[in-house]
Amino acid sequence: MSDAGAGGRADRPSTLFSASTLIGPATLLVAIGILAPMLFLARYSLNLYDPRLLMIEAFSPANYIAFFSDPFYLGVFFTTLRVSFVCTAVCIVLGFPLAYLLARTGSRMKNLMIIGIVIPLFVGNAVRAAGWMTFFGSRGLLSVTLMDLGLRDGPTEIMFTETAVIIGIIAVNLPYMVLTLQSVLEGIDRNLEEAAFSLGAPPWTMFRRVLWPLALPGIAAGTILCFILAMNAYATPVLLGGPQFRMMAPMVYNQFQLNNWPLAAALAFILMATTLGLTVVAGLMTRQSFRG
Amino acid sequence: MTKAIASQSGRRGRALMDRRRLGRAAMLATGGFAFLYILVPLIFVTWLSFYRQEIPSYPPEGYSLRWYGAAAANERFIDAFLVSIQLGVISTAIGLAVALPAALGITRLRFRGRGALANMLLLPLIVPGIVLGFALYVFQVEIEIATSLPLLGSLGGLVWGHVLLVIPWATRLITASLEGFDRTLEEAAQNLGANRLTTFRRVTMPMILPGIVAGAIFGFVSSFGNLEVSLFLVGPGRTTLPIAILQYLQWKIDPTIAAISVLQITIIAAAMLVTDRFVKISRVV
Repeated sequence: MSDAGAGGRADRPSTLFSASTLIGPATLLVAIGILAPMLFLARYSLNLYDPRLLMIEAFSPANYIAFFSDPFYLGVFFTTLRVSFVCTAVCIVLGFPLAYLLARTGSRMKNLMIIGIVIPLFVGNAVRAAGWMTFFGSRGLLSVTLMDLGLRDGPTEIMFTETAVIIGIIAVNLPYMVLTLQSVLEGIDRNLEEAAFSLGAPPWTMFRRVLWPLALPGIAAGTILCFILAMNAYATPVLLGGPQFRMMAPMVYNQFQLNNWPLAAALAFILMATTLGLTVVAGLMTRQSFRG
Repeated sequence: MTKAIASQSGRRGRALMDRRRLGRAAMLATGGFAFLYILVPLIFVTWLSFYRQEIPSYPPEGYSLRWYGAAAANERFIDAFLVSIQLGVISTAIGLAVALPAALGITRLRFRGRGALANMLLLPLIVPGIVLGFALYVFQVEIEIATSLPLLGSLGGLVWGHVLLVIPWATRLITASLEGFDRTLEEAAQNLGANRLTTFRRVTMPMILPGIVAGAIFGFVSSFGNLEVSLFLVGPGRTTLPIAILQYLQWKIDPTIAAISVLQITIIAAAMLVTDRFVKISRVV
C-alpha cells in the first residue's frame, strides 16, 4: 500500500506493478466482458440468414445493404431519430430551469429534491411506463377529465401513439439532463448574474449572454446523454407505443427473437454507430462555438 | 435636471426589477413543472395500486389494500423478485471485490493511461443495454460451442452481465470517497508503529466505508432495475422482476402490477435514503 503513495513519480516499476494488481481484475473483466463480445457481434452482423438453416457463415455487407434499401427499416430508423430529437429538445427546455433552481437553492429541501429525481432514475422504465398507462388509458384520468370538461366528446386515445412514447421518454431522460446541468450550474458564480443585472441586462439577455455560454459544456453533456438514451430506449416504446409502433432498440430484440441474428447484429451496430457519430458531431460543434 | 435623470433611472430600475421577478417566476414555474413531470408516473402507479376495482378506470370506485395481498400471493412475481435479489447480491459482491482495488489504484497511483483506464471502467454505462445484452448472448453462445459449458441461460451467465453493470457505479462512488481522503492520517498511523495491513484495516477502511456502502447500494440498485441486459441472458424458468413486470404490462395493466411496482419503488427509495446517510447523493450522481 505504501508504494501506492508514490504520487508524481510516474511509471516506476513498482508503481506499474501495483497498478496492474489493483486495477487489473476490473479492467480485464470489462475488457473480456464487453470488448470481446462486441467483436463477435460485429462478426455476426456480416453473416447471412436463411429461414431454414438460420445463420450461415459469410463475409457480406448484405444486412447493412438490406437495412439502407428497405423503406420499412429506414422508417423505423427515422422515427427513432425524430423521437430522440424531440425528447432531447424538450429535456433542455424543461431541464434547465429545474437544474437552475436546484443549483441556486441553499435549503435542506435541495438534497431531498435530488433524491426525488434520482429515485425514478433507478426505478426502471417499465414501472414508469405503467404510471403513464393509467394516465393515458381510454378510461384514464386524462381522457375522462377532457370529457368532463367538455373538451372532447369521446375518449382520447393517446396510448400506442408516438406522442405517448415521446411523453414517456422525456420523463425517463429528464433526470439525467437535470443532474448533469445542475452540477455545471453550481460551478457558475452567482455574482456574474448579479453583475449582468446591475449593468442593466434584462433576465433574458442575462440568460443568453451569461448563463447559457457558461453552462454550455453541461448543456452539451446533458444533450448527448439524453439523445443516446432516447435512441436506445426499449421499455418505453414497447409499452407505450404498442406492437405497431417501432423504434430501433425494440427492433433489435424483435429480430433476435425471430432468429435473424445477423440482421439483429447489423441493426445493433447501425444504432450504435449513428448514436456515436451524432455524439461526436455534437461534441465538435460545441467546441467550435467555444472558440468562435 | 439631476432629479429628472434620477427618477428616470429609478423607473427603469423598477421595470428591470419587475422583469427579473417575471424571469424568476418563469424559472420557478417551469422547474416545478419539470420536477412534477419526473415524479408523476410514480405517483400514478402508486395511486392505481390502491384502487378498489380491478379495471384502471378513473375515477376509482373506492380504495382498498387487497391488491398488495394479490401481489404477495403471485408466485411468478415472488420467484422473479427472489431471482433479482439473488442476482443483485452476488453481482454486487463480485463487482465490489474488483471495484475497490481499482478505485484505490485510480486515486492513488500516477501512471500513464490512468485516465483511459478509469474511462474504460465506465464503458458498461455507455454501451446501450440492448447491444450489451445481445453481444454477451452471442459471446456466451460461442463459449458454449467451444467448451460445451452450459453457460447460456444459467445464473452464472446472468451474473456475468450484471457484474459489468455494478463495476462502473461501485468504482465511481468509491473513487469519489477516496478523493477527499487525507493521506497524512495513514502516515500518522505508520509513524505510530502500525504496519501497512493494520493501517489499512484500522484507518483507511473505516474512512472509506461510507463510499463502499454507497457503491454497493448503487451497484445493487442498477442490477436490480436492469431490463435490457437480462432480457437476453435469462433462461427458461428464471426471470428477473423487471422482465416479469414488462411481460405482464404487455398483456394488461391492473392494480396488482401497480402494487408490485410500488414494492420496487419502496425498495429503491429506501436504498437511496440509506445511501444518502453515508454519501450525499447530490455529490455522486
